[in-house]
Amino acid sequence: MSYLGQQLVNGLTLGGVYALIALGYTLVYGVLQILNFAHGDVYMVGAFIGFFVMVGLGGPLAPSVPVAIMVLIMFLVAMLGTGLLGIVIERFAYRPLRNSTRIAPLISALGVSILLQNAALLLFSANIRTYDTSSYIPSTLGFSFADITIDGVRLFVLVLSIALMFGLARWVNTTQVGRAMRAIAYDRDAAVMMGIDVDKVIRWTFFVSAALAGAAGVMNGLLLRGVSNGMGLVPGLKGFTAAVIGGIGSIPGAMLGGLLLGVVESLAQGYLSTNFSDTITFALLIVVMLLKPNGLLGKRAIVKA
Amino acid sequence: MKKTTRLGVVAASAALVVSGLTTGTASAAPTACSGVIGIVAPLTGGVAFIGKEQQGFAQLAVADYNAKNGTTFTTKDYDTQLDAAQASTQAPNIVANKEILGVMGPAGSQEVLAIGGLLGANDIALVSPSATRTSLTAGTFPNFYRPIPNDGLQGPGDANYMVKTLKAKEIVVIEEKTAYGTGLAKEVVATLKALKVKVTNIAVNEKNADYAAVVTRVSKTTNFVFVTFQDAAKSEQVAQELIKQKKKAVVFGSDGSDQPTFKTPGTYVSAFAPDVNGLPVAAAVVAAYKATYKAEVTTFGPPAYVAAQVIVEAAGRACTAGKPNDRAAVLAEIKKTNIKQTIMGNALSFTATGDVKGGRFYIFKTQADGKRKLVG
Repeated sequence: MSYLGQQLVNGLTLGGVYALIALGYTLVYGVLQILNFAHGDVYMVGAFIGFFVMVGLGGPLAPSVPVAIMVLIMFLVAMLGTGLLGIVIERFAYRPLRNSTRIAPLISALGVSILLQNAALLLFSANIRTYDTSSYIPSTLGFSFADITIDGVRLFVLVLSIALMFGLARWVNTTQVGRAMRAIAYDRDAAVMMGIDVDKVIRWTFFVSAALAGAAGVMNGLLLRGVSNGMGLVPGLKGFTAAVIGGIGSIPGAMLGGLLLGVVESLAQGYLSTNFSDTITFALLIVVMLLKPNGLLGKRAIVKA
Repeated sequence: MKKTTRLGVVAASAALVVSGLTTGTASAAPTACSGVIGIVAPLTGGVAFIGKEQQGFAQLAVADYNAKNGTTFTTKDYDTQLDAAQASTQAPNIVANKEILGVMGPAGSQEVLAIGGLLGANDIALVSPSATRTSLTAGTFPNFYRPIPNDGLQGPGDANYMVKTLKAKEIVVIEEKTAYGTGLAKEVVATLKALKVKVTNIAVNEKNADYAAVVTRVSKTTNFVFVTFQDAAKSEQVAQELIKQKKKAVVFGSDGSDQPTFKTPGTYVSAFAPDVNGLPVAAAVVAAYKATYKAEVTTFGPPAYVAAQVIVEAAGRACTAGKPNDRAAVLAEIKKTNIKQTIMGNALSFTATGDVKGGRFYIFKTQADGKRKLVG
């Protein structure tokens, strides 16, 4: 039983990161009906920003501020930086193509993805960086319950990812920009006629989705340690898969899809095959698509009817 | 190569010559001798730091030879990103370049498998500084040589050390599904089974990023987790995850984990080369490398120096024998390699199948201060 519990803890933590990435896909798709395949690379940029903020604050061995403050600043700067990057990507890669064919922004997204990867290679070199988390957050920190262990970093990531998910849901449901976002997703033309500044709302959409990816990037650094220019590809695909499983365009769906994907992956590794866990994970996608073509919670939230 | 770097290499080489360093046994080649030594390495990608170090040491070896013999051999880089597919796209370019006399590399066993046949069909020698898969010297690639020991030594050596020296009773082997990881895991598991200890083999995908679920599968009675990653950050992640999940097992990394990012105190790592920092015979080369490339020396660089030295000396001998720019003649000369003392401190000659004679692995334990101590 404790084995199952431990695998569930592992999976939920991983799923929380996937869910944050999935939310970015789903927000952009919900508003613009485009698949932002550069999203995984925005996640990579977030991880790098977090790394360099950490280095700038003294590095893992001698942080110049208390660790909690350092981690907070890492998240804030990474989210702000990637949020602004999201706005830039929207302005130069997607807005000029807003009224073109559906395939054009897809190709543009792939171009941005490759551009970001190579820019990171040129700027930061190909070396794998590590957050070296254990140097400032001891691996022994955490607690055990019924032989299930959850360490401090994993608990922090799990709590923060859930908080960000619910914060986003609340923001979309209660703020003026959030309501405008839902209105545009429902009927863009009608939203324009009602006086909604579509460009502004789309900018907000990209800012928020990219900021969530930035947070996920820092979480990855804290959890999984390796940061490199190619790190966004697989998590980006997993995030996209989570969004599709949950029902792309649906915020609760992205959350559910991410958590479900993380848990399935963890259980597959724990009980079936570590080597084929991705095969099993993507097989789940196929099964869900066959049974529920719109995803588990698809077309109910901010998807245009 | 940037002009400044080239000048740096030449200057460093001149210093080596002045210092009287002589590690090879090549007879002097006439000054007209020239040709190109291919450097096939991961110059970009996740393990570019390995490729960059190999590149730097190989360039130094060629420059040293030129400085000593008045020859004008040069190098040309081919980036593989430690990826077999990328290596396959480079192979035709290497073959097409008629000036290439031999190749220092590739770094990974999977790349040798990918390009060894094509290069062999064109009489191009491969001298790899880090490809350790045992089967590479089983006869499939008669053009393949390595100045380092193979996994046939590493696997049993590490397994024996864990069981006989460290008294392990239960071991988990994490087999990363690559040509390197699979080959090495097979050697380790076979030896552990022969030693009658409990062994569990867990195969993992190379793209896997989170090892928490894998560590959960490690029982609390396991003594060691032997890992076959080529990215040491993964080995470090497993080591830390074991601590987080309160398991007593210690990570024992193969030579793929022999990188600074794997640093949890108490862990072990095996290496195919000694730490040459402090070896008198390597002092001049180490100083030249540090001065030219402004980087620290790990265990990946010195074998690349020796590999390039093997090729350029063979090319020099072939040229002296009246066969300049003849790939087949260079290949034949490589077989005759006999270096009395390399910068790794050993004598070097090859077996009939291309392995180093009398090779050995080195086992290090990471100390509380993060430094490594030679223990076996």
